[in-house]
Amino acid sequence: MTGPDVLVIDDEPVVREAVRHVLGAQGLEVATADAGAAGLAHPAAATCRLVLCDLMLPDRSGLDVLAELVRRRPGLPVVLITGYATLDHRARARDAGAADFLAKPFDAKELLDTVRRALTCSGSTKEGNA
Amino acid sequence: MHTRIGLQFVAVVGIVTSVAIGLLAMVTLRTHRREMIAQLAQSADLLSETVKRSTEDDMLENRRDRLRRQLEAIAGEKRIERVRVFNKEGRIVLSSDGSEVGRALDKGAESCFACHAQGRPLEKPPVQERVRTFTVADGHRVLGIVSPIQNQESCTNAACHAHAPDESVLGVLDVTVSLDEVDRQIVASRNRIVGLAVVAVVGTGLLLWWLSRHLITGPVEALAAGTRRVAAGDLTTTIPVTGRHELGELASAFNAMTARLSEAQRQLTQADKLASVGRLAAGVAHEINNPLTGVLTYASFLADRTSADPELHTDLEVIVRETKRCREIVRGLLDFARQTPPRRQSTDLNEVARRAVAVVMNQLQLGHVALTLDLADDLVPVEADPNQIQQVLVNLLLNAADAIGERGGTIRLTSRRAELPPRGHEQIRHAECPHGCDLLDPTTRVGGLPTIRVLRTHGGREWTLGLDPVYGRFNHVSAESCEEGVIALAACPRCRTTLVESEQRCTLCGAPTFAVRGPDDQPVRWCSRTGCHHTWWEARERRGAAPVVELLVEDNGRGISREALPKLFEPFFTTKGARGTGLGLAITWGIVEGHGGTIDVESEEGRGTRVRVCLPVAAPDRRRAAA
Repeated sequence: MTGPDVLVIDDEPVVREAVRHVLGAQGLEVATADAGAAGLAHPAAATCRLVLCDLMLPDRSGLDVLAELVRRRPGLPVVLITGYATLDHRARARDAGAADFLAKPFDAKELLDTVRRALTCSGSTKEGNA
Repeated sequence: MHTRIGLQFVAVVGIVTSVAIGLLAMVTLRTHRREMIAQLAQSADLLSETVKRSTEDDMLENRRDRLRRQLEAIAGEKRIERVRVFNKEGRIVLSSDGSEVGRALDKGAESCFACHAQGRPLEKPPVQERVRTFTVADGHRVLGIVSPIQNQESCTNAACHAHAPDESVLGVLDVTVSLDEVDRQIVASRNRIVGLAVVAVVGTGLLLWWLSRHLITGPVEALAAGTRRVAAGDLTTTIPVTGRHELGELASAFNAMTARLSEAQRQLTQADKLASVGRLAAGVAHEINNPLTGVLTYASFLADRTSADPELHTDLEVIVRETKRCREIVRGLLDFARQTPPRRQSTDLNEVARRAVAVVMNQLQLGHVALTLDLADDLVPVEADPNQIQQVLVNLLLNAADAIGERGGTIRLTSRRAELPPRGHEQIRHAECPHGCDLLDPTTRVGGLPTIRVLRTHGGREWTLGLDPVYGRFNHVSAESCEEGVIALAACPRCRTTLVESEQRCTLCGAPTFAVRGPDDQPVRWCSRTGCHHTWWEARERRGAAPVVELLVEDNGRGISREALPKLFEPFFTTKGARGTGLGLAITWGIVEGHGGTIDVESEEGRGTRVRVCLPVAAPDRRRAAA
């Protein structure tokens, strides 16, 4: 498979760069977008193995982006990121079809664990669906 | 300075009173004077008749010497000035003053006027017409009365100086008496009346002034002062209720108003505080979480890769640790800001308890804490918001772990069914005096619950008592101790309206009871005898026991001091110093409240703490409808 492994959609440059840095060190290629529309239009949206998407984007809700991505590519793991982590948000994110939920601020280990889990789970889910 | 209402009132009433009393005095004096003169005239008339009768014989016999002597003797009496007789032509024929005998009087003269005023002589006009008063040469006043001497048969028959039979009046007896005595009495009574009038006016004025001070000016000034204090922002102001009249009503209304204002302000302040914290927290979270993500991600990433360089590694670990602390603070603020109405669903609280324990286990190194779960297997589902209840339990478990600290200890989380009888459990969430003053006192709490504040009085002493708001429990809070067994009255501490019920008696000791207006305007009453444990909440007793699920979090940690216990649920109150935000229990409290449940804390310093949360199995209809 060619192209980036992970697409990060977040309007905050420091978050995009930090994620790129940490995942890049693990050998994952990261593409970034700073808004929902830009993320959906990004070529990586069609090819990547995982999307990390902020819940609060300047142009639209992360839940909308999630719904659109899942509609286009069922089984694509999408992890929602937010600064407003609540049990409620987590539940709603799962209901909407998110693979996982990452609360800001996270550290490198939490990020890696979440990404690994999402990638692994999606693999098993695909197998289960197949 | 404005004119004082009392002064104006006294001035107006004083002037009216003075005029009235003055007029009354004047009329009284005149009447008195007229009556005294009339009385004197009557006496003088009687005297005239007596003189006529006693001198009749001498007259018939024309014994002028004897007559003169008699007249002189009569006039010798001090009060009688002069006695004289003159004939029809006005010539003086006899007089106690011999010098004037033979002088003729004009018909226009004083003595003649009475009869001759009409232009013709009258036979005998009434007394008042025959009387005149006048001043004699030496300056003192006299009263004269004339009395006609009628012609009689004996007169016309007499041998001596017979009068013609067709004459009706033969002459006139003129008696003059001194008015000195009368004048003196009139002056004396005038002085007396004027004196009395002055005393009456001054007395009435003073009485009015005093009354106006006590009934009007005092209360009005108290109201004005109270209003100024309220205007200046002091909403604790109360003014004494002075009586059952309009000003008293006004004072009560004023007190009720300030009470309401104060409560509204308190709620606004609280709401405002919470809203500001909420806004701030949301803003802070948004702004800070992104940079924190950057710092935390890079620092933790680097820390993992620098194990070869211990010095750098340690420094990076400090950055990671402190950034995580920032994260916890921000999350605490967010949790606090995010107090939303519960989304109820049929919830298995055992499941929630297990999830909460899992979260706590993940968050804390619980190596030194033994956590025991004692979950009842017959639990019924409860209408509750599982996420919120989980938050409550996580919070309570973390607090318990904090209380245990490094020394190690045990935490026990219990769930069980309970029938919550109203007594000892149901919280009285609403209490008013008959005037509508809110009696709930959030500043004085028992086990975290606002007490019901009443004013007790006994034997001239007064003290405020914070009634335990849990029905049937008697952990009242009072700054002053009062010996047991005395009957102490109870009143509203704001408007001082009595709370004592006239028709109710304590069923234990027969003492009078007092009551507050509880939820749904139903009375909750207590015995007014100190130490007597009688209380009755008719409306609540009728509904009987309520099924609940109890969640108990017990620890054997350091416990909570008596001083800290009442403040436990206040926002920003913390016993953990810089490590706490003071928001955890405030949030917990809000969530349990939102579920219509109760939370209470028992703690002993050095022994441990037990927090009990009771959640009603069925959500109250009213709350559900409102949500």
